Amino acid sequence: MGLRRTFSKLRALMHSKVNDLAEEIQSHLAMEEADNLALGMSLEEARIAAKQRFGNITLTQERTRDMWTWTTLELLKMDSLYGIRQLRRSPGFASVAILTLALGIGANTAIFSIVNAVLLQPLPFAAPDRLVSGFETESAPGQYPVNQADYLDWQARNHSFDSTSGYSWSRPYSMGGKGEAAVATATEVQANFFETLGIAPALGRAFGHGEDSSGNNHVAVLSFGFWKSQFGGDRSIIGKTLTLDAERHTVIGVMPPTFHYPSGNDVWIPFNMQDKAFSQRGNHGIRVLGRMKPGVTLEQARKDLLNISLQLEKQFPDGNTNVHAGLLPLKDQLVGDSKHRLLVLLCAVGLVLLISCVNVANLLLSRAAGRQREIALRASLGAGRFRLVLQLITESLLLSITGAAIGIAGAWWLLRLLDSVTTAFVPHLNPVGIDARVLLFTLLLSVVSALLSGLAPALQVSRANVNDSLKAGAQAVVGLAGSRQTLRDVLVLSEIGITLALLVGAGLLLRSFVKLGTANIGINPDKLLTVNISLPDASYPAFPDRRRFFDALAQRVKHIPGIKQVAISSEIPLEGGSSTYIVVDGNSDPALANNLLGFNYVTPGYFDTFCIPLLRGRRLNASDYEHDGIAAQRANQISQAAGNQSPKMPPDVTYHAVIGQTAARVFWKGKDPLGHTFHWGGVPVVIVGIVQDVKEYGLRAEPSPQAYFPFSISQAFGGGSELILRTSVPPALIVPELRRAVQGLDPGLALLHPRTMQDVIGDQTEDTRMQTLLLGAFAVLALILSAVGLYGVMSYTVTQRTREIGIRMAIGASAGDVLRMILMHGLRLTLGGIAFGLLLSFALTLSITSLLFGTSPFDPVVFLGVATLLAVITTIAFLIPARRATIIDPTQALRAD
Amino acid sequence: MRKRRSSGQLDLVYGALDILILRTLVWGPTHGHGIAKSIERLSEDALKVEHGSLYPALQRLLQEGWIKASWGISDNNQRAKFYRLTPAGKRKLIDETSRWDRFVSAVTGVLRPAESEES
Repeated sequence: MGLRRTFSKLRALMHSKVNDLAEEIQSHLAMEEADNLALGMSLEEARIAAKQRFGNITLTQERTRDMWTWTTLELLKMDSLYGIRQLRRSPGFASVAILTLALGIGANTAIFSIVNAVLLQPLPFAAPDRLVSGFETESAPGQYPVNQADYLDWQARNHSFDSTSGYSWSRPYSMGGKGEAAVATATEVQANFFETLGIAPALGRAFGHGEDSSGNNHVAVLSFGFWKSQFGGDRSIIGKTLTLDAERHTVIGVMPPTFHYPSGNDVWIPFNMQDKAFSQRGNHGIRVLGRMKPGVTLEQARKDLLNISLQLEKQFPDGNTNVHAGLLPLKDQLVGDSKHRLLVLLCAVGLVLLISCVNVANLLLSRAAGRQREIALRASLGAGRFRLVLQLITESLLLSITGAAIGIAGAWWLLRLLDSVTTAFVPHLNPVGIDARVLLFTLLLSVVSALLSGLAPALQVSRANVNDSLKAGAQAVVGLAGSRQTLRDVLVLSEIGITLALLVGAGLLLRSFVKLGTANIGINPDKLLTVNISLPDASYPAFPDRRRFFDALAQRVKHIPGIKQVAISSEIPLEGGSSTYIVVDGNSDPALANNLLGFNYVTPGYFDTFCIPLLRGRRLNASDYEHDGIAAQRANQISQAAGNQSPKMPPDVTYHAVIGQTAARVFWKGKDPLGHTFHWGGVPVVIVGIVQDVKEYGLRAEPSPQAYFPFSISQAFGGGSELILRTSVPPALIVPELRRAVQGLDPGLALLHPRTMQDVIGDQTEDTRMQTLLLGAFAVLALILSAVGLYGVMSYTVTQRTREIGIRMAIGASAGDVLRMILMHGLRLTLGGIAFGLLLSFALTLSITSLLFGTSPFDPVVFLGVATLLAVITTIAFLIPARRATIIDPTQALRAD
Repeated sequence: MRKRRSSGQLDLVYGALDILILRTLVWGPTHGHGIAKSIERLSEDALKVEHGSLYPALQRLLQEGWIKASWGISDNNQRAKFYRLTPAGKRKLIDETSRWDRFVSAVTGVLRPAESEES
């Protein structure tokens, strides 16, 4: 055994040093004797004189030995070897303690790895501190994307940025080429996009200056993953053609494997900066990022852009009133609210570790009783209290570092398991993994754990009176055992309290999750299939082309078996969409200008397909559809002819709309809006019906004002669309037939993103689901640990009190009395723990209020439920040892020890 | 542990033993007994060092790195541990000597007027 050899070597070293000193003193005495003999003394006299001259030999040895300062490393080595020997002697204790700490430390390592990747590591771009994200504010509250024309002025007029780059939202494109159309996610960017981020392609080149202009923008850069999966990593891809939504793009570059921005993107293609969207004010169409010049602060850049937007406000009062520029560090924008979620989890695992430490502290305390004599012996042999404490802490360190090693392995496994879901849970550009910082954190944690679990027991044990312990058996040390019992009780009590707080947190989240999943969206989400269809401008340039396609599609789809209803719309519920300011005819209240009206283009069947109840008036009908399509075409022509002006529309250009009840309340304030009109972009809109509210902007969002226009208007302007099918069979079964129908009409079109409405809801509850799952897992872990802790303490108490119980029974106490005594002790701990836990929960749950949905942070159901659950489990944990106490045989108990 | 001593013998000021040991080793490596004898001889027996007290001091000097030790054979053919000065020890000795001089002159400066008043 290598360990044993090292230990004996060390002992040999110690011995040799002691022997060395003894020999040196002997040689000194011999020399003095020789001198004395030379002076004429007798042998006996010479020896005595030499000894006298030398002084107290033992004292000299002791004092010299005091001077031996072992280096810290030597001490650590000695204590470690001693500790390992001690732990090997009680493998049961060691493995329980190590496992407990491994669970606590491992959970922390896993969560910290995520925190590290998301919050601590810099973004994987060059000089990421200088990267910012721009947005605009409006009369209505909120942060909005940036208007394209405003952005061009920001870019031209600012003094704060080395470069700025606009980019679109990633969306799925139909990718043509070989065989059946496939799907690629692409993002339109300004030509300097990669340059602004400071990332160069791994293969080929990035976009050159001017490649984002009309006619020059048919180039594409691929992501590494897309290049590998779609083209097998073929290096000759450069120069080949990629067809996206019927437009041909020449591949010019492939990005490095580490580049994932925007995340999940497959292809980057340049904007056409001459597109008319870049000259119109009022809309918010693009995302913007900027690289500040070195030395420019965020505040300076913010002021710079704000000044520009104030100039624009004066210059273009029509579109830019109250439109102001804002800036955020790019990292903050990416991290968003996941910071809060991660910190909550980090706190939770911190609490789990605390419970682990408490458990180990309890184990150490129990074990200390058995080691009392060993420690007293060491103390009597001259070990100072500090040395004893150090020795005991070293043992704790051994436990926690071994635990940490196992914990790291566990965390690595857990992170691999969670790999696919962490992306949905928290957006991150850096890979989640165990790096040097995580390892350092874990090491630090194990040291802290060792101190937390080891310090109190070590101090208490080393305080023991040497004489008492040596003289008496462990059980007779009444005073000491008493104070240790109190400490142990306090530890268990706090453990139960912390567990309760964690369970309450998990319970609140679980309740929120259930409520989110069953929240009333305003539609019936069962057996609904939605598919995104995007008609390329290249093959469908005008209204009649698009109109023909959608009419034919509706016809074909209707005949697929298993489909009950069909609708087409520009957006689906929960996923947001466009919104606009409107002028309510007959109401000049300026406050209305602060309200946005969301809108959605729908076919007449939309309301039936989603089961949206009509409250008043009528639904949109076929004649609205016809009329508004023609009107939109005319409006389109007129505004195109007028260029940048807002033209006057002829009186026959009108639209029809159905509005939601919130829109009716907000804009018409109790008056009946039916038959009333509002103006939208200069066109009067007649309200024909009012429907019940639908949650358009997410499960958590309150219903907001919403209008539904005929989908034919969208056909005039072009844009994305969603095909919505209510099926009588499971929606997934329809997909192949649907694909055939779509590609029968146009082989270049892919079925983009087929999802059921339940999937859409699932996407929105994913973060809460993950949070609940993780917090729940940690809470259950805490519950198991503290149940084990309580069980351990109660068993130990019963063992310790065997003699006392024996005496009580001998003098006539019944088994019931004994049981009652033990039960009272357990009950006191449980109730005390629960009381403490409730207080702790009240303090802590407020911090997760923003993560909850439809649930008060003081939800009585959760609090009561969790307290009851905890009471039941802890009662079981102390009943088993209590039961054991009643079967103690008094005669045997008294004979023991 | 105070030993009785004859008059004219002085107790060592704390730390003075260190300097004496270092000073003794200037003449070359020697063993503990040799150091004790040198100190007695040099101070003309005014400073009587209890030989045992040398060893903790030697240990301290070793730990500081001012001296080094190795086993060797003494003049009378005895195995003994020899101590010798390290360069750091030499520097320390020079520092300490000048500090000692300043200390002595300062103390003398305080004491001398008092002595003259008394006499």
